[in-house]
Amino acid sequence: MELKICHMYPDVLNLYGDRGNMICLRQRLAWRGIETQITRLPIGSEARLSDFDLVFIGGGQDFEQQVLLEDLHRGKDREIRAAIEDGIPFLTICGGYQMLGHYYETYDGKRCDFIGAVDLYTVGSKTRMIGNYKFRCGEASGGSLVVGFENHSGKTWLGSGVQPLGTVLAGFGNNGEDKTEGVRYRNVFGTYSHGPLLPKNPELCDRILLTALERKYGKAELSPLDDAAEKAAHDEVAGRI
Amino acid sequence: MKIRAFFAILLCRLLRGVSRLLHRGGTAMPGRWALRVCPGLLKLLARDLKILAVTGTNGKTTSARMMEEAFARRGLSYVANRSGANLASGLTTELVMNATLTGKPKKDYAILECDEAAARTVFGQIKPKVVVVTNLFRDQLDRYGEVTHTLENIRAAIQGAPEATLCLNADCSLTASLALDLPNPVIWFGIEPGAVPSRPVPEISDATHCIRCKTAYEYDYVSYGHLGGFRCPHCGYRRHRADVAVTAVPEQRLDGSSIVLEAGGQKQLVQVNLPALYNVYNAAGAVAAVTAMGLPLQTAVEALGSFQCGFGRMEQFDLGKAGSKMMLVKNPAGCNQVIEFLQNVKEDFVLVVCLNDRGADGTDISWIWDADFEGLQALSGRMKQVIVSGDRAPDMRVRIKYAGIDDGKIRVERDYARLVDWIAGQELPVFLMPTYTAMLELRQAVVHKVGGAEFWEK
Repeated sequence: MELKICHMYPDVLNLYGDRGNMICLRQRLAWRGIETQITRLPIGSEARLSDFDLVFIGGGQDFEQQVLLEDLHRGKDREIRAAIEDGIPFLTICGGYQMLGHYYETYDGKRCDFIGAVDLYTVGSKTRMIGNYKFRCGEASGGSLVVGFENHSGKTWLGSGVQPLGTVLAGFGNNGEDKTEGVRYRNVFGTYSHGPLLPKNPELCDRILLTALERKYGKAELSPLDDAAEKAAHDEVAGRI
Repeated sequence: MKIRAFFAILLCRLLRGVSRLLHRGGTAMPGRWALRVCPGLLKLLARDLKILAVTGTNGKTTSARMMEEAFARRGLSYVANRSGANLASGLTTELVMNATLTGKPKKDYAILECDEAAARTVFGQIKPKVVVVTNLFRDQLDRYGEVTHTLENIRAAIQGAPEATLCLNADCSLTASLALDLPNPVIWFGIEPGAVPSRPVPEISDATHCIRCKTAYEYDYVSYGHLGGFRCPHCGYRRHRADVAVTAVPEQRLDGSSIVLEAGGQKQLVQVNLPALYNVYNAAGAVAAVTAMGLPLQTAVEALGSFQCGFGRMEQFDLGKAGSKMMLVKNPAGCNQVIEFLQNVKEDFVLVVCLNDRGADGTDISWIWDADFEGLQALSGRMKQVIVSGDRAPDMRVRIKYAGIDDGKIRVERDYARLVDWIAGQELPVFLMPTYTAMLELRQAVVHKVGGAEFWEK
C-alpha cells in the first residue's frame, strides 16, 4: 500500500511546528510498512489535487498572506473545492483551516475573501487566544481526547452544513464562546491545534490515515503500534490543563 | 528628579545586597523597583557612558562576550550585563551597581545586550553609540509574535537612536532591511560567497519572500537557515557586500574555527575559540562592533581567540570521565546549528536534551518540530543513549522518536541531581542541550557537583 500526500504551501504555511504532522503521518505509515510519497506544493507551483490521497495545509504568518491569496485565486481555490467535494481527506491547521472558509473579517471590518470550500467564516478579535488546550472529538471523528496548543486571534463560526471536529474541554477552540473546536465536512479535518496536532494524538492521526486508506483501497486496517511515548506526552499535557 | 534618582539608586543597591545575602542573582528585580521609583533613571545612568548595544534573536550573549574581551585587552573600563538580564530592569541594575549614589558612572563604556522587544523603549533612553543586530529568526512566537514584528520592534528602537552606527548582518534579509529606511551609518558583516559550502534553502526558512515587495527570493548561496546571498528578482533588494567579511573557513573543530577575515583593507587568518558556524557570524559581528567603537582591528581580532564563552553556551565542564559540554538551545535555528555541530563528533557520545516551557523559554514548545532533529539519525551509531529531561521531557521523547531514533535508546530522567550523578559516572563524553530556564537549573546542579561560577558571577 502507498499514500500520496500533498503538503500545500510548505514554504509559507509552516509555523508552530505544523510540519511535525507530516513527519508523524509518514512515520506511522512507515512503521506499518506502508509507503508514503510526499509532494511539496509551494506558492506558484502546479499540481492536480485529484492525484493525491491526502492533503495537508498548515498555519502561517500574516506577512505572506497576500501572496498566498493571490496564488489561491489563480485557480487553486477551484482545485481545492473540487477535491473536497470529491472526498479527498484534508487536514488543515489554523490559517490553513480558516482559509477553507468564506472569508476573514479583521477587527476593524476589512473583509478578505477566502475560498468558500467549507461553510465557515472567521472574524478577528482584539485578544489573542493562546495556550495549551484540549477537546473531545465527536463520534464521527473517533471520539478521542485531543491536546494541542492554540494561538489565534480569529474567531471562527461554523455554518449549518458542517460539524465541529470536537467539543472544547479547556481553552478557547473556534471562538471561545460556543465550545466548538475545528470542523468536519466530508473528509476535511480542520482545527486550530498546533502543538503539532498529530504526534501527541496518535488516535486522531490513525483515524485520518484510515480515512485516506479506506477511500483509496475500499477496505483498510492499521496494525497497532506501541504508543507508550505518545500516550505519556499526551496524558501529561492533558493533566496539566 | 535628583532626589528621586538618589532614592531609586539606594533602593536598587539595597535590594541587590539583600538578594546576594539570600544567594540569589538579584539581576533584574532591584532595577525593576528602582525604575518604579524613578522612571527616568536608566536615561540618567546612561548619559555619560559610551554604549555598545547588542540585539537580535540569536548570539547576543556570545557576541557581547567577544566584544568585552576586546575592551578588557585594551585596558578600558566598562560595564556589561553578563548575567543575561537584558530587559530595562536588568540594564538598570547593572548600571546602578557601576555608578555613584548620584548616578554618575564609574566606568567609561558599557556593553549591553538588549532583548529585541525591550530595545524599543530602551534605546531611546540609553542612546547607544553603536548598535549590533546579530540576526532575526523565528523565536518564541507566543511572546514576540511573527518575526516581522520583532523586526519592527528593532526598527522602532533604532529610530530612538538616530546617531548610532549600525552593525548589521549582511546575510540576513530581515536584519539587512533595517538599512532600507533608517538614516544611520551602517557597517555590514557576513560570510562571503564561497567561504563555506553552500547548501539548499532549508525546508523551513524564516524569510522566503522579499521584505519589500513579497516576491520569492533567489539565493546565490545559503550559509544556514535563511542566511546567505539573497536577492529579489523583482525589486532588486539584495545582500550588501560585507565590510567585515569572512572569506574562508579553513577549519571547523570541536573547540573552535579558523577563519579568514577581511576588514579594514587587511586579510588575516583568525582563530575563534567557539565552534559552529553561528559563532563565525558572532565573531564577524563583534569585530564590526568593536572597531566601530574606535578600538583597533587587531585588538578585536585577538579577542576572538581568547574570550571566555557565556554560561551554558558551548561551555565545557569537568563532569563525567570524558567531560560534558553544555549547549544552550532556544529556537530552531540555534538548535539546528547545535545538531550540525554534533556531526563533527567522531567518537561515541551521550546526548541529554532538557526541554522547559516556562516564560523565558516560550510556553509553546512546537518549535522542536521545526528543528531538524532528523539530523541525529546520521549519528545514531555513535550516539549511544539519549536522556530527555525538563518540564516537557515526554514531548522531547516523542520528538526524538519521530526523528527516527529507536525509543528504546531514549530515557526520561527529570531529577537534575540524579541526572548529574549519572553523568558523573559516564565513560563517554556527554553533550547537554537545555533550553534557557532548564540550562539555569541544570547548570546549577552541575556547578554544585563539580564547581564553577554562579551565573551572575561569570
